[in-house]
Amino acid sequence: MAVSASDIRSALSLPSSSTPVHSTTPAPRKSQGQVTKKPEGISRELYALIGPSAPSLVAHLAKPRLKQKPNFGSGGKVKWEWRPFRNAGRTDSLQLGHWVKAGDDPDAEYSFTKYNVQSQSYTYSQEEYIHKDWTKEETDNLFNVVREYDTRWYVVHDRYEPPPDGPTRSLEDLKDRYYSVCRKLIRNRPWAGDEASKAQLLNSYQFDKDRERMRKDYIASLEDRTPEEIAEEEALFVELKRLEQNERKFKKERDELLRTLLGIDSGLPDIVAEEDGLSALSAEGFKKRKKNANEIDVPSTPSNIISLGPPPPKRPHSAKSVAYDAQHCIVRVEPPASSTTKITHTPVHLRSFKLPAPKAALLPKVTQTLTELGINHTRLVMPTRENCARLESLIEATTALIDTKKVVDRVEQDIRVLRIRLGRAIDGGAGAGADIDADADADADAEGEIDGRAQSILSIRSGRGRKQSRRSMSVSSIGTSASTRVGKRQKRS
Amino acid sequence: MVNYGGDEVSALVLDIGSSSVRAGYAGDDIPKAIIPSFYGYKATSGDADVQMSENAPENFDSTPKQTPSDAKLYLGQNGPSIWREGMEIGNPIRDALIFDFNPVPALISHALVDVMRVNPSEHPILVTEPAWNTPANRERMAEIMFEEFHVPAFYIANTGVLNAFAAGKGSALVIDVGHAMASITPVVDGFVLRKGLVSSALPKLVQAHARHILSNPTQTRRGIELLPHQLIANKLVRCLSYPNYSFYHYDITQPVEPGAPPRFTLREDRISGTTESWRVWCESREVEEWIQSVAGVLDQGWNDQAAASRSPRQYEFPTGYNTYFGPERYQVGEQFFFHSPQLVAQNPNLPKNIPTLLSESLRACDPDLRQVLMGNVVLTGGGSLFPGFADRLEAELSRNFPHVKIHAPGNPIERRYGGWLGGSILASLGTFHQLWISREEWQEHGKPIVGQRCK
Repeated sequence: MAVSASDIRSALSLPSSSTPVHSTTPAPRKSQGQVTKKPEGISRELYALIGPSAPSLVAHLAKPRLKQKPNFGSGGKVKWEWRPFRNAGRTDSLQLGHWVKAGDDPDAEYSFTKYNVQSQSYTYSQEEYIHKDWTKEETDNLFNVVREYDTRWYVVHDRYEPPPDGPTRSLEDLKDRYYSVCRKLIRNRPWAGDEASKAQLLNSYQFDKDRERMRKDYIASLEDRTPEEIAEEEALFVELKRLEQNERKFKKERDELLRTLLGIDSGLPDIVAEEDGLSALSAEGFKKRKKNANEIDVPSTPSNIISLGPPPPKRPHSAKSVAYDAQHCIVRVEPPASSTTKITHTPVHLRSFKLPAPKAALLPKVTQTLTELGINHTRLVMPTRENCARLESLIEATTALIDTKKVVDRVEQDIRVLRIRLGRAIDGGAGAGADIDADADADADAEGEIDGRAQSILSIRSGRGRKQSRRSMSVSSIGTSASTRVGKRQKRS
Repeated sequence: MVNYGGDEVSALVLDIGSSSVRAGYAGDDIPKAIIPSFYGYKATSGDADVQMSENAPENFDSTPKQTPSDAKLYLGQNGPSIWREGMEIGNPIRDALIFDFNPVPALISHALVDVMRVNPSEHPILVTEPAWNTPANRERMAEIMFEEFHVPAFYIANTGVLNAFAAGKGSALVIDVGHAMASITPVVDGFVLRKGLVSSALPKLVQAHARHILSNPTQTRRGIELLPHQLIANKLVRCLSYPNYSFYHYDITQPVEPGAPPRFTLREDRISGTTESWRVWCESREVEEWIQSVAGVLDQGWNDQAAASRSPRQYEFPTGYNTYFGPERYQVGEQFFFHSPQLVAQNPNLPKNIPTLLSESLRACDPDLRQVLMGNVVLTGGGSLFPGFADRLEAELSRNFPHVKIHAPGNPIERRYGGWLGGSILASLGTFHQLWISREEWQEHGKPIVGQRCK
């Protein structure tokens, strides 16, 4: 049933687009004309629906048709006949029969003969033969087996039988023997071709027995692992991977930080490419940097990269720069002499970023002690250089104080233990003699001394308002001892 | 035609196994003739004092006597399975090797001439042999083929290699669990590595174990009488709940309830004429059928809970006795993989189980080869058709080796007759036809040609 576009329109009570309010007579005629123009490969109904505005793709569609019938030969029947044949690969006259097309050439060579390929093998004469370990008979035997099994070495090794009184041969022995004989033969026989092909052939007969044996041993040891060893190895491997990952992460973060803080001065190789995008902001500064970066890109020594963070050592020598520094309050920090790696490199930083802080392990103790002393160290209002140094010395002093306290505690403990032991000794042997008593007295004296000192420290901890003078004294005394260390540290940094 | 390398010369393939003889055309996918290797015979001479103590089924090393050459043979599907008075049962195969060549020509002739209806003198024939076959045996087989069947050409190929070919592999580790022997054969480039070849009579042990389970009473049931259906006249009992019907001489009969003692009538007339060997053969067939329909292997090693959690399976014996078998059916298959220490202690020459065979075989192979072989494990043989066998093997192997791939055909025909199938493929290849030992060569060189040609 042919359904035209106008039919659809009328069914949907739409106004006809091409012919406004028209009668039905022009429409069939029009469709008639269209049908004649219908392109190949499109059904009449579909064409009637979509009209002349058929997509160009459709025109390319092939006419739908059934699956093509297979074409068997040149039409009609093929005559097959049972024909006996001879196989040129055989040495005898066996005739087998098979079905072939009647039209085939009866005299053609058997088509599977060409797969009968003989591998090349070497032979040698009695005169050529000299060897101490292998007798000629054994070598002959080996060559026969190798030829028989076409150098399938696993099979050769399986089938090779050493002479009854001879040594048993491993696979490597056999291979080594065979290849070494072949190499010798190639080397010593007259060679028809050029040297290159000879060398190539020699190369193909190369065999390193010891290496092969070592490789086999490795495989064997790999297979002989116990399950525990395998598990341990796997655990180690996972651990290694984890460490590597951490390392990478750490390095990435450090680079990120360096890039953020230092930019071009960090000496990272990929920084130039990144800077390109920002170049529009400060062309001149960028040029300068770029020049700098180029210098960095080809560092003569690794230390060059490191020294870039702090200004190069030449600079401070010029009086002008010293004056410049003084004018602009620039403080230059001497680069630590010992360190030349990137890790210890300190880029430019705000001083307040690097306020001295106690070691993380000691932090709670230090904080506690300082709180007991009524010192607030957490907020440095004005982090000038001097203030920073002061704060650092304060923390050093506190740390030293804590260390001392620790020592005192330990000594006290020792004394207590000794005293108890002494008491027991006295109880045990009442008539022990005078010298023990004397010792005890001496101990007691010493204790009295230490006790006094310990108390002074203790008092710092326990009582705040108690004995102000004494406390200040003890703190100051520690302070002096700490100051030397501070000085050392300052020198170092 | 050359694309797949096939060129069929209408060769025949003959695969003689412990339980059946398979014969067919090369190029087919199923053997045309499958006949049992067992045969019945009646000695014509009055040599009546046949073996009584021999053929004890528990004893794997029994030496059956040879069949007299003038005996009347009953072969094929209607041979041993039909009760005949005074008929003995024989099998020419022992440990997968032919030890008694007297009935072999008759068996071959039955398969080729009576079943396949071919004239053997018109077709080249490929015969299979186990990897541990003796040179004398294969030469004798060649002699039979050339002198008795007058074949134009002959070849004898190794079942291990043929099984690898059937799986489409040139190099493989073939695990073949047959009716009498389980063997592991490393094959490299179509050659058997003889040093890595191991075999044991493991299936015999499994059968003996199953028989032991069945015939010994347990807490819940009595020992089961393994009587063949040929000796049973009636196993149905009259239904007692409808006594009225017997009034109309209309018997309602039905089997006994599961677990109830069987109520059957023996064919008393046959008892006296039944020979010991026939009775033993029938019993082992009953055991085998029970194994085939009930037994399985736990795929993740022995585990009492797992064995108990599997659903029991009902089985009815020819006597009418029927019951449900639970964990016992997995104990049978377990014998392939694990032997309890006390069993090992009791039997010093117990057949080695499959994990032992595997490690023995691989130890003899080159370390380089082990990976290749483990990636190409071919499981074949009818004895491997236990449900769960392949899964268990995979579990056992992957415990010790990282990359194991097992090729186990799902089709039971392919699994059981893998050796025949490989022979069918080999003998239909165009490149193979130069390997045939022709009649001319046989006449010229004699027996040594077999060893030279068939490596």
